[in-house]
Amino acid sequence: MAPVLPLVLPLQPRIRLAQGLWLLSWLLALAGGLTFLCSGHLLVQLSHLGTFLAPSCRFPALPQVALAAGAVALGTGFGGAGASRASLDAARYPPWRGVLGPLLVAGTAGGGGLLVLALGLALGLPGSLDQGLEEGLGTALAHYKDTEVPGRCHAKRLMDELQLKHHCCGRHGYKDWFGVQWVSSRYLDPNDQDVVDRIQSNVEGLYLTDGVPFSCCNPHSPRPCLQSQLSDPYAHPLFDPRHPNLNLWAQGCHEVLLGHLQDLASTLGSMLAVTFLLQALVLVGLRYLQTALEGLGGAIDGEGETQGYLFPSGLKDMLKTAWLQGGVAHRPAPEEAPPEEASPKEDLPEA
Amino acid sequence: MALMKVKFDQKKRVKMAQGLWLMNWVSVLAGIIIFSLGLFLKIELRKRSDVMNNSESHFVPNSLIGMGVLSCVFNSLAGKICYDSLDPAKYTKWKPWLKPYLVICVLFNVILFLVALCCFLMRGSLESTLAHGLKNGMKYYRDTDTPGRCFMKKTIDLLQIEFKCCGNNGFRDWFEIQWISNRYLDFSSKEVKDRIKSNVDGRYLVDGVPFSCCNPNSPRPCIQYQLTNNSAHYSYDHQTEELNLWLRGCRAALLSYYGSLMNSMGIVTLLVWLLEVSITIGLRYLHTALDSVPNPEEPECESEGWLLEKSVPETWKAFLESLKKLSKGNQVEAEGADAGQAPEAG
Repeated sequence: MAPVLPLVLPLQPRIRLAQGLWLLSWLLALAGGLTFLCSGHLLVQLSHLGTFLAPSCRFPALPQVALAAGAVALGTGFGGAGASRASLDAARYPPWRGVLGPLLVAGTAGGGGLLVLALGLALGLPGSLDQGLEEGLGTALAHYKDTEVPGRCHAKRLMDELQLKHHCCGRHGYKDWFGVQWVSSRYLDPNDQDVVDRIQSNVEGLYLTDGVPFSCCNPHSPRPCLQSQLSDPYAHPLFDPRHPNLNLWAQGCHEVLLGHLQDLASTLGSMLAVTFLLQALVLVGLRYLQTALEGLGGAIDGEGETQGYLFPSGLKDMLKTAWLQGGVAHRPAPEEAPPEEASPKEDLPEA
Repeated sequence: MALMKVKFDQKKRVKMAQGLWLMNWVSVLAGIIIFSLGLFLKIELRKRSDVMNNSESHFVPNSLIGMGVLSCVFNSLAGKICYDSLDPAKYTKWKPWLKPYLVICVLFNVILFLVALCCFLMRGSLESTLAHGLKNGMKYYRDTDTPGRCFMKKTIDLLQIEFKCCGNNGFRDWFEIQWISNRYLDFSSKEVKDRIKSNVDGRYLVDGVPFSCCNPNSPRPCIQYQLTNNSAHYSYDHQTEELNLWLRGCRAALLSYYGSLMNSMGIVTLLVWLLEVSITIGLRYLHTALDSVPNPEEPECESEGWLLEKSVPETWKAFLESLKKLSKGNQVEAEGADAGQAPEAG
C-alpha cells in the first residue's frame, strides 16, 4: 500500500510550506472575492438588458454559477489561511485537525466542481449570445409601438434608453427601423392619404416610413438631427443619404451589446481560470501539510521527518477498503460471530 | 474657579490618552474623506464648466481640499502627542508646544465650521452662474463651425439627455433663439425667407426644439417641430401634452444636482467638525491633567483636568490684559529708543 506522490517534509520545509500556503490562501481569497464582484456586476448588467435577451438564452446561468464558485473560493481562501497560520503554532493547531479534512473535501468537490462548471460555461455560452440578442432585439423593435399593450408598454422606453446610452441604432444599422412599424396606430390619422397609401403598400398593412426614432440621433453631428425621409436625397438641403456622416449613430445595437457582454464574460472567464489555479495549489498544499502533520501525530514542533502524500494508497486499494468498510456497515449482527471464528482460525495456522 | 473640572487618576489618564489616539487616527481617515469629497466636487464642477461660463466659483471644493489636508496633518500630530503622553520622558519634550498647538486647533475648528456653513450657502451664486452660462450655451448651440464654440451643441445635447431637462427654464426658451445653423437652411425656400423677415434681427426662429429634449417615456414618437400647432399633428394638444418633452429646465436640474451634492458634503463636514471639537476638548483635558500632576516622580497620583483655568469672563479679562501689556511693552521700548537717540544727538 504505497502512498500516492509522497514527499518527505522535515521541519524547515514544513514551515516554508505553511508560510507559502498562507500567502497563497490570501491570494485565493482575493481572487475569489474579485470573481464574486465581477459576476455580481455581470448579473446587474444582465438584469438591465433582460428585455433584449431572448428568454431561451442560457447566458444568465454563467454569472450565477460564477457567483457561487467565487463565494466557495473565498471561503476556501479564508480556511486555508487560518489552517496554515495555525499549523505554525502548536497551541492553535488541535482544533484545526478536525476541520481540515472536511474543508479539503468541500473545497475539492464543491469548489472544484463549481469552478470547472463555470469555466465550461464561460467557454461555451457566449456563442449562444448572438442568437439570443438577435431574437431579443427583433422582438423589442417589433413591440416599440405597443405602448398601450399591457406587458409590452415599456418596450419603447427601454429601447430609447438603450440607444441613448449605448450609442447605437437599430439591430445592425439604422435601416432596420425602415422595416418595422414603430409609430403606434393610435397616432396615425386614418383620413391622411399618405398614411392610407403607406398602409396599403405592403402585405401586412404596416405603416412603414424611412424615418427613425429620436434616440438614434448623434449629438456629435454639426447639424440638427434629421430623422425622417432619410432615403430621399432631395428632402433635406445639403444632405446626401449615401454619406449620412455623423447624423445618426452608425453602429447597430446588436454589435454593441454583443461586444459589451462578451468582454465581461471573457474577463470573468480569465478570473475564474486564475481562481481555479490558485484553489488547486492551495488544496494540494493543504493536503500535504495535513498528512505530514498527521504523521507526527499532531505535534507541530516535532523535529522528525515525515512524509506528506496525496492519498494513503493507490486508487484500487482505496476502493477496496471503502468497499469492505461499506460491507461491514451493512451487516452489523452476523459480524459478531464470524470475526470470532476467523481469529481462532488465524491463531491455529500460526501456531 | 476652573471651568468644568474633572478628576483623573492614573488609569483614567491612560484610558483617555489611548482613546484620543484612536479618535485621532479615525479623524485622519475623516480628513482623507473630506479631501476626496472636495476633489470630487471640483471635478464635477470642471466637467460642466462649459455651461457655467467658465466663471464658477471653486471656493467650496478648494477649501474642502485644504481642510482635508490640514486635518490629516494636525490629527496625525495629535495622535503622536497622545501616544507620547503615556511616557513621561517623551511627554516633557512636547510640553512647551502643547498650548500654542491647542490654540491652533481651536482656530482650525472655527474655520472648519465656517467651511461647512459655506457648503450650504453657495447655492445662490451657483444659480446665477448657471443662468448666464446656459443662456450663452443655447445661444452658441448653432455655431458648430466656429472654432472655440463648435463643441457647444454636443455639450448641451448630452446635458439635456443626461439630466432629463430642456432649455434654461423650460422648452420654450428654444423658441426664442435660432438654434439651426444658417449653413443648413435652404434660403431659396419661401418658408425660410418668411421666417427670417418676420423678426427684427433676421433670425430663423421656429417653435421647435432639438432632439435631446425628447422624453423616452412618451407613448408616441417624439414631436419636435410645430409644437404650438395642434393641427400639424394627429390627436395632439400642446396645452395638455406632458410626456412628449422634458418639462424641467436645465438650470433647475443642475441646481438640484449640485445642491444635493453640496448639502451632503456639508453634513459630512459638520460631523467631522463635531469629531474634531471633541478631540480638541479631550486633548485640553489631557494637557491640563498631565500638567497638574503634583509630583512627577510619582505617576500614580491623582490630578485634575479642566478646560479653562479661570471662569470665562476672568480668562477674557486676563487675555485683554496680556494684549495691553504687549502693546505697552512696545511703547516703552520705542520711548527708550527715542530717549537713547536724543542724548546721542544732543
